[in-house]
Amino acid sequence: MKRFFAILVAVVLVGAASAQTKEIRVLLANHPYGELLKNAIPEFEQATGIKVIVESLQESQLTTKLTTEFATGSSSVDVFMTRPLQEAKMFYKNGWYAALPGYDFSDFPKNSLSVVTFGTKTYVVPIVTEWQVLYYRKDLLQKAGVEVPKTLADLEATAKKINSPDVAGFASRGKGAAAVTQLSTYVYNYGGLYLDKGKAVFDSKPALDAIKYYGRILGNYGPQGATSMSWENIMPLFQAGKLAMWTDASVFYGQIIDPAKSQVPAANIGIANMPAGPKGSSPFIVVSWGMAIAKKTKNLELAGQFLTWATSKEFAKRALASNITMARNSAWEDKEVLKVVNPDLVSTRAFAAKNGYPLDRPYMSAVGEARDRIGELVIESINTKGGSTKLEPMAKDLVRKVNELLEDTGEYGVY
Amino acid sequence: MKQSRFRHVAFYVMVLTVALVVLFPFFWMLSSSFKTQVDIIAWPPRLVFKPTLHNYVKVFGEQDFLKYFMNSSIVGISAVGASLLLGLPAAYSIARFRQKRLSVFILVARLMPGISFLLPWYIIFSRLGLMDSYIALILSHMLIALPVIVWIMSSYFDGVPTELEESAMVDGATRQRAFFSIILPLSGPGIVTATTLSFIFSWNNFMFSQVLSMERTKTLPIAVYNFVSYAEVDWGGVMAAAVAIMAPAILLTMLFQKYVVKGLTMGAVKG
Repeated sequence: MKRFFAILVAVVLVGAASAQTKEIRVLLANHPYGELLKNAIPEFEQATGIKVIVESLQESQLTTKLTTEFATGSSSVDVFMTRPLQEAKMFYKNGWYAALPGYDFSDFPKNSLSVVTFGTKTYVVPIVTEWQVLYYRKDLLQKAGVEVPKTLADLEATAKKINSPDVAGFASRGKGAAAVTQLSTYVYNYGGLYLDKGKAVFDSKPALDAIKYYGRILGNYGPQGATSMSWENIMPLFQAGKLAMWTDASVFYGQIIDPAKSQVPAANIGIANMPAGPKGSSPFIVVSWGMAIAKKTKNLELAGQFLTWATSKEFAKRALASNITMARNSAWEDKEVLKVVNPDLVSTRAFAAKNGYPLDRPYMSAVGEARDRIGELVIESINTKGGSTKLEPMAKDLVRKVNELLEDTGEYGVY
Repeated sequence: MKQSRFRHVAFYVMVLTVALVVLFPFFWMLSSSFKTQVDIIAWPPRLVFKPTLHNYVKVFGEQDFLKYFMNSSIVGISAVGASLLLGLPAAYSIARFRQKRLSVFILVARLMPGISFLLPWYIIFSRLGLMDSYIALILSHMLIALPVIVWIMSSYFDGVPTELEESAMVDGATRQRAFFSIILPLSGPGIVTATTLSFIFSWNNFMFSQVLSMERTKTLPIAVYNFVSYAEVDWGGVMAAAVAIMAPAILLTMLFQKYVVKGLTMGAVKG
C-alpha cells in the first residue's frame, strides 16, 4: 500500500513538473490543413521554444472528445480546430470558446465572420471556406452539343439531354439530412431561406418551389437510389465516369481530378458557378473549419502565439498552394500562389465570396435534428419526382417542429 | 439411399449459403485492401485486378501501426491479466457461497452504458495526471473484461463438483490451497474462454480509448480513423488496417475455438 502511494505521489509530481515547461496541447482534425500544420509544427517549436502536444482525430471523434473534456471542466486542451456551423452555437453558449480580443480579422471575408461573432466579439478564426459549385464533364456536354448551364432551367434541360442508362445526367446529395446543405443554394436561388429572423420559413413558396425542383431533377435524371446518396456515394460515381453533372461543395475538386483516384482524365472535368435561379445566384460559402482557444486554458499567452502562427497570412498562402481553400482574402490575391491554383476554382470562389450566403444549413443549436426534419421533405420530393401533393402540409408540420426545437433552446425569434 | 444423398446435398448447399453470407464482407475487405482507390470504386466491381501492397505500406510505414498494435496489446493483456487475478477468486466465491446479489451487481456494471462512466473517469484521471497513460486505459478496460470473466467463470465453477475440494480439505488443505491446486487446474477450458472473449472485447473497444487515450497511447480501433479525413475516405487504407486488426482476433478464436464452445456450455447443464 505504501508503495502504491509513493507511485501515486511520484506520478502527480511528474505531472506538475511538466506543466511548468512551456507546453501547450492542440487538437486537430483529420483534414489536409491539419496535416500540413502538423508537419510544420517543428518550425514553430524551434522558433518559440514552446512544446506542442498535438493530436489529430477524425471530425466526429474530435467533437466527442472536445465535448467530453470541456463538459468535465478539467480539460487540458489549449487550442483546437472546430466546425463553426456544426458546433459554434453550442460551444459558445456553454462558454467553451475564449474571446480573441487582439486578433486582426480585417483579411477575412465579412460573411465568413458573421457565424463566429456573438454579440460584439469574435470567437473563432476562420481557416477553410467552401462554397457550392457545379462539377461537369466537359467531354459529355460537348458531345451533346450543349453549353455549361447558367440557369436552373438550363441545368434541368441539359440533365435530360445527357441522361442515359449508363451515365446519370445529374446528381446531388439526396440522403435526407445530408442533402440539406447542398439543397440550400437551390433554396436561396429561388428566393427562400431555411431560417429567417430566428424562425423556420422553409414552407414558403420559393423554398417549396426549390425543394420540388430538386426532387424533380434528381428523381428524373439522378442515379438510382438517389435518396440514400451523400457525397461518399456520388463522388465515386463521378470518378468512375458514370455521372455528367454534380452540384456539391468545392472541397471535392482535388479528389476528382486526382488520377490516382479518378478514372476520368482531369482535362475532361470542369468546375463552374452554381446555375442561377429565379432570384439570381447566391451560392452558400461557409467556414467549414476554424480554430479557437479553449476558455479554460491555463496558457492563454502561448495558445495565442500558436493561433496567430497557425492562422497567419504566410501559412494561408502555403496551404492554398496545396489546394486547400483557405478563408483569408490575401491568399487568393497572391500572384505566386494563383499560378498553381486552378483559375476556374479561383473564379467560383471570387463569385461566392462576393454574392454568397454564409450558411448552408439552419444555423441553430439543434442543427442535427433540424436537418433530419428538412431531410424528410427532400426524400418525399425525390421519391415523387417533385410532384407530391403532400409536400405543402408536410412542410407546414415540419416548420412547426423546427420552431419547437428553436423554442427549446431559447433561440426562437432571436437573431 | 436417395433420401440420404438429397439430405447430404441440401446440407452442403445450406452450409455454403450461410458461409457465403458471412464470408462475403471479409472477402470484400481482403480484396479491397490489395486494390488501388480507382479499383475499389470501379463499377462493376473488378474481380480481376493488379494487386498492390501500397495500402499495407501506408498502414505500417506512414502510419506506424506497430505502435498502435503495441498499445492495444499492452492494454488488452494487462487489463485481462488484472481481471483474471481479481475475477477468478471472485467467481469462485460467487459460485460456492451463492452470492447472487454480488453477481447481479457486477452484471449491472456491464449493462450500464459505458459513456456514463466516461465523465467521472476523465475528471479523476486528469486530476491524478494519468491522462495519456496506460494505467487509465487498463483500468477502464477492466470494466469490460472483469464482468465477462466473473460471469463465465462463476457458472463454470458451479459445474465443478464440490466433492473434489472437500476431499482435499479433509486431507488438510486450506480452501485457498484447494482453489489453486484443485479447482484452477480443472478449469482450463473455462479460463481460456473467458480470457479469449474478454481480450477480444478489450481489443475492439472504441469508446473508452477514444476519450482516455491520446497520441502516445492511441489504440487500434481509434487509429483506423486516421484514414478517414474530412470529405475524404482512403478506403484502401481503412480496409488494410481492418485486416491487420482482425488478424490477431481471428487467429486467437481459431486457436481456442474448441475451448470457447466447451467453456460456454460447461455451466449450462448441471449434473
